[in-house]
Amino acid sequence: MARHFFNRLGGSLAAIFGASIVAFILLRMLPGNPAKTIVGPFATDDIVQRQYEAMGLDQPLYVQYWRFVSDFFQGDWGYSYSIGNTVNAEFAARLPATIELGLYAFVFAFTGAVVFALLSTYRRRASVDGLVQGTAFLGLGTPPFFVGLLGLLLLSSWLGVLPGPEGRLSPATVPPPEVTGLYTVDSVIAGQPATLWDAFVHLLLPAFTLAFAAYAFLVRLLRANLLEVSREQFLVVSRSKGVSRWTSFRRHALPNALLPTITAGGLILAQLVSGSVLVEGVFNWPGVGQSVATAIVSKDFAIVQTFILLAAVAYVVVNLAVDTLYGVIDPRVRSGASVGSR
Amino acid sequence: MPAFGRAWNRVFGNAASAVAVILLAIIVLLAVLGPVIWTKDPLTVDLAAKLEAPSLQHPMGTDNVGRDVFARFNEGARISLLTGLLAALIGGVLGGLIGLVSGSLGGFTDSGLMRCMDALVAFPPLVLAMAVTVGLGVGLKAAAIGIILTSIPYYSRIVRADVLRVRSLNFVEAGVALGATRRRLILRHILPNVLGTTPVLVAANFGYAILTLAALGFVGLGAQIPTPEWGTMITEGQQFFLTGSWWIALFPGLGVLIVVAATSMLADRARDVFDPRGEFARG
Repeated sequence: MARHFFNRLGGSLAAIFGASIVAFILLRMLPGNPAKTIVGPFATDDIVQRQYEAMGLDQPLYVQYWRFVSDFFQGDWGYSYSIGNTVNAEFAARLPATIELGLYAFVFAFTGAVVFALLSTYRRRASVDGLVQGTAFLGLGTPPFFVGLLGLLLLSSWLGVLPGPEGRLSPATVPPPEVTGLYTVDSVIAGQPATLWDAFVHLLLPAFTLAFAAYAFLVRLLRANLLEVSREQFLVVSRSKGVSRWTSFRRHALPNALLPTITAGGLILAQLVSGSVLVEGVFNWPGVGQSVATAIVSKDFAIVQTFILLAAVAYVVVNLAVDTLYGVIDPRVRSGASVGSR
Repeated sequence: MPAFGRAWNRVFGNAASAVAVILLAIIVLLAVLGPVIWTKDPLTVDLAAKLEAPSLQHPMGTDNVGRDVFARFNEGARISLLTGLLAALIGGVLGGLIGLVSGSLGGFTDSGLMRCMDALVAFPPLVLAMAVTVGLGVGLKAAAIGIILTSIPYYSRIVRADVLRVRSLNFVEAGVALGATRRRLILRHILPNVLGTTPVLVAANFGYAILTLAALGFVGLGAQIPTPEWGTMITEGQQFFLTGSWWIALFPGLGVLIVVAATSMLADRARDVFDPRGEFARG
């Protein structure tokens, strides 16, 4: 168990190191003189040179790399010239919005996947199963920004039941006093039901949009697992003891089928992270993803680079946590037996 | 070949697959024959005919500077399909080679190559593709390279696992006993036996390539405006989407949806048929 963990930890550290090298190289590969970009086209050579030295660009590469990594882990992520603020401040201000959206998307994707996977396998109706599989392929095949646009067109412009792309709250609503930064939580703390409702309604469509691809991925995995588990003998035994179909599904099939979905945690996080870059802009959601998308267009790579490295670190950490958790939950991994040997 | 016929039927034989094949065929046809059957130019600006709804004159309407969306859709199909196919194939060849070498040689080469693959999968795929595209200076070619790079670990890991399986089979050991060279073992015994699963892998990766290309185009890293790539077309149509001119962004979006959903569905079915135990399933 401990060895399993340390093996994985070593791999994760190597992965983060690799990621930092990639992010560093990418920044060096950018054409043009970054110092000149910052001070502007009208600056004299002398000013450019001073900026160049201030940024440490005259140092040898390994010194630059070391400075880059230590700055990153000390939480100094550089200065964004297109915003005119440090990257830290920008991310700190925008992260709660992205986290709130991601949390809701995750809940939507997971509950949706469990419900629909059960629907498609419980009675084994070909028509229901076909429909569920159809939604999964739609989720896999549709670019998230397109789902968002279609949803806005249908539910906001045509039917008028949901708000348009106006961000986290209606323009007239004042944000709740900040405690966690998550509006739906903060409005409960402050006791403002109207704000809670407004925040929730604004979350629905973006979270659904973000959830769709993750749902498609999860529902396929769960469905396959449920089918596999339902062929196992312990289910036949439980049914022949007279346990009802629902109870044997709930108590025996579902827990076993859910287990492997934990390992998909990293993949889902990846989908939510990359999804946020693609989705937030569509809804004018003031999160990190939108800031990255804007930074790409204005060629402000301090933000992009931080985002890339942060995403990689989060991804590695989640994968490590998931692997460790899996070892704790599943006795087969804990004892060192291979998962396939049954 | 009755066995082949049966497999064919199981992959393409039901209604949903038939629909997928037909829709896919239509898009491929539009991509290949587009300029022949629809002679309007995808880049010609006609300000007198801007934001026109779909009609006989313009089957998919016109965009904000009066360009014909149908012509742009066809050109976009050509760009997306060709880039997606090339990326999936090149990624398949490179990733497959790495998997083959890594699995056959083992030892230091194997662990070295696999650690490199680990470093590549340390990024969420789209984020790595973004990073590479930014580093290479943005554009269709940079986006394609980003997609290829993110596909390589996917292929190499599956092919390597397959090589390890084949390598332990009796006929390979028989080859070793007969004194076959390593080169001969790899090329004549291992390679032909792992080759069979690769078309399904390429098909599944093709969908990913198209989707990622559109995503990169959408955020402005892929094909640059005014190139009619589907993702950039959605970006261009986005601001008019909610103000009534839904057709500019709708059709390219549907194009991506159809191609990706259809190919991943067909690849899925093919995998069920050729690999019933799902050993080589992604993930």
